[in-house]
Amino acid sequence: MKKFIAIVGSNSKNSTNRNLLKYMQKHFKSEADIQLAEIKDLPIFKKSPEKTVPEYAIELANDIEAADGVIIGTPEYDHSIPAALSSALAWLSYGQHPFVDKPVMITGASYGSLGSSRAQSQLRQILDSPEIKARIMPSSEFLLGHSLEAFDDDGNLKDDDTIKQLEGLFEDFLKFVAISEQLGGATAANMEEARNFNWEDNK
Amino acid sequence: MKLVGIAGSIAEQSYNRMLLKFIAAHFSDQVDVEILDINDIPMFNQDNDISQGDALQYIARKIEGADGVILATPEHNHTVPAALKSLIEWLSYSIHPLDGKPVWIVGASYYTQGSSRAQLHLRQILESPGVGAISLPGNEVLLGNVKEAFDADGNLKDEGTINFIHSTLNKFLKFVKLINHVDQEDDDAWKNEDLEANHPVDTSVTNVDKNAKDWVEQAAVKTNAVDGKAYVKLDRGLLTVDQLNWFLKTMPIELTYVDDNNQFIYYNKTMEGKKMLASRTPDQVGDKMTDVHPPRAIPNVKRVIHQLRTGQKDLVAMPVPGNNATKHVMHYYKAMHDEDGSYRGVNEWVLDLWPIVSSYLKMTGKMLVDDPNNQVDANAGASQAGAAASADTDASAGASESAEETETVDVDANSGASES
Ligand SMILES: Cc1cc2nc3c(=O)[nH]c(=O)nc-3n(C[C@H](O)[C@H](O)[C@@H](O)COP(=O)(O)O)c2cc1C
Ligand SMILES: Cc1cc2nc3c(=O)[nH]c(=O)nc-3n(C[C@H](O)[C@H](O)[C@H](O)COP(=O)(O)O)c2cc1C
Repeated sequence: MKKFIAIVGSNSKNSTNRNLLKYMQKHFKSEADIQLAEIKDLPIFKKSPEKTVPEYAIELANDIEAADGVIIGTPEYDHSIPAALSSALAWLSYGQHPFVDKPVMITGASYGSLGSSRAQSQLRQILDSPEIKARIMPSSEFLLGHSLEAFDDDGNLKDDDTIKQLEGLFEDFLKFVAISEQLGGATAANMEEARNFNWEDNK
Repeated sequence: MKLVGIAGSIAEQSYNRMLLKFIAAHFSDQVDVEILDINDIPMFNQDNDISQGDALQYIARKIEGADGVILATPEHNHTVPAALKSLIEWLSYSIHPLDGKPVWIVGASYYTQGSSRAQLHLRQILESPGVGAISLPGNEVLLGNVKEAFDADGNLKDEGTINFIHSTLNKFLKFVKLINHVDQEDDDAWKNEDLEANHPVDTSVTNVDKNAKDWVEQAAVKTNAVDGKAYVKLDRGLLTVDQLNWFLKTMPIELTYVDDNNQFIYYNKTMEGKKMLASRTPDQVGDKMTDVHPPRAIPNVKRVIHQLRTGQKDLVAMPVPGNNATKHVMHYYKAMHDEDGSYRGVNEWVLDLWPIVSSYLKMTGKMLVDDPNNQVDANAGASQAGAAASADTDASAGASESAEETETVDVDANSGASES
């Protein structure tokens, strides 16, 4: 069974994005082993001459490296991803490169009707940057609008169409992960490239 | 003009902070840039709202008090650094100090094209409804290859780069004026213009009765003012006070100085008040604006001075009604500013344009004929916008200067004094 890390892109206690990832964990448990990862205890990203990275970010990087793929659930704050998530991604690309060629599925939940679409499109650009270089599942978007009203008391999605859409996307993601494994040939080289590509040491 | 600068980097050593410091120092004669530190602002978290805490309140107050904001952003993984984004989230949650603020985005990067993607993201972020800041499209500064850009003293080495930043800054400053003007347009701020001169400025002579007939003499004693043969250094020249007087008294215009506290402090006394185009008398000098205008003129005086003070207008021109074929008297009100661009009062000049027109006609052999499409009421002064403006002649009032204001107005800064 495939193993996925699901990053909760929100640092709030009552995150509807966390709820969505928990729902996926439960709903797809016969198809994949989804492990939730929190970012809420990471400090704000800060460069240092020693390139110090918090212990927790190193553990998280190891978990990601060991996983078959990553799901990122992002809220939308001010038309972009929350600082907390962007900070986590910076730690996860600072002297370590767990995302290189890692298949990534993006989900997003927001209180409004657009369901974090602008944040997701920025997130794609971020995940494509040289020190992250993730393999983002193309032309797929899961946007959960009005996320506060989307779940019932047991944490299940209420709307059948939404569930069907999510199931379809997850099926695609499993295929995408499988195809991605067959593209493995370039991974070592890509990894090398990401390692050699260093924003800091340029010139 | 006052700006707040925020560097989006919390690294100990930051080129973006260096860039801000350079801008603040290099253009200090033009704008006042205060650089704020964001290093101690914790990560945004909606469960622990610290918007009312000292650190964020301090930043919010500074932003609210400034005319605009400069954001200097590095690029981390093709977006703005988390520290800057976190600050913006705080400023978009339960407080919104950036709402309606003009923002100038600059960025320094190690690469040639660096920070362009971060700047684009930042623009999208600033536009979101919770933030509501206004950035000038396209007016960006991308300082590439930044590790080689500065000399040991933190100055940019390349003259072309400095000139480019300067031109971008100038565009931003224009934008700031425009935005802040639009914001103010529909409010009643002009009503607060204090014609009672109760807000002394650094040049005001206090403790002298403004209405005293010998205000000038009393104020001169208070300030140890020089006179006669004492030299005064001017931009550009050196004159004695006598020479300065000879010079000003032979100007072919009536000059009046109203300071930024709305106090009438000077006119070039060339003749008796009665003979002037706009009467002034020696005992009026020192008076507050309310004492040299009839009450009905007050709202318009307030409006004009407010427009000049806030930069909505730099010059207001008004014709005096009762002009005829032998006279065309104009009043001009021009805002004065100090080296920092702060408003310092009104330079009013009054002159009769007719001799100029008539000498032009004589020299060129031309004559004036009526315009068949004429929209102007021939008896009233022609207003700037070509609209008719009816005015009572005995009040020697200025006519309206815009098409919308066709009602009788009375704005002459001082001439109303003769009838009060
Ligand atoms: C995690 C990380 C990611 C970075 N990503 C980018 C990038 O996407 N584009 C870029 O031009 N520079 C990138 N850089 C280099 C930064 O622009 C550089 O470190 C910047 O912080 C310099 O600005 P400062 O001196 O004001 O901090 C990255 C640096 C780090 C540490
Ligand atoms: C600072 C801040 C900014 C926000 N900006 C947006 C936004 O631009 N668009 C949007 O749809 N929702 C916005 N929201 C509301 C979010 O949709 C909602 O807080 C979040 O997405 C819910 O995610 P969570 O339940 O996982 O925390 C914002 C919320 C905060 C706290």
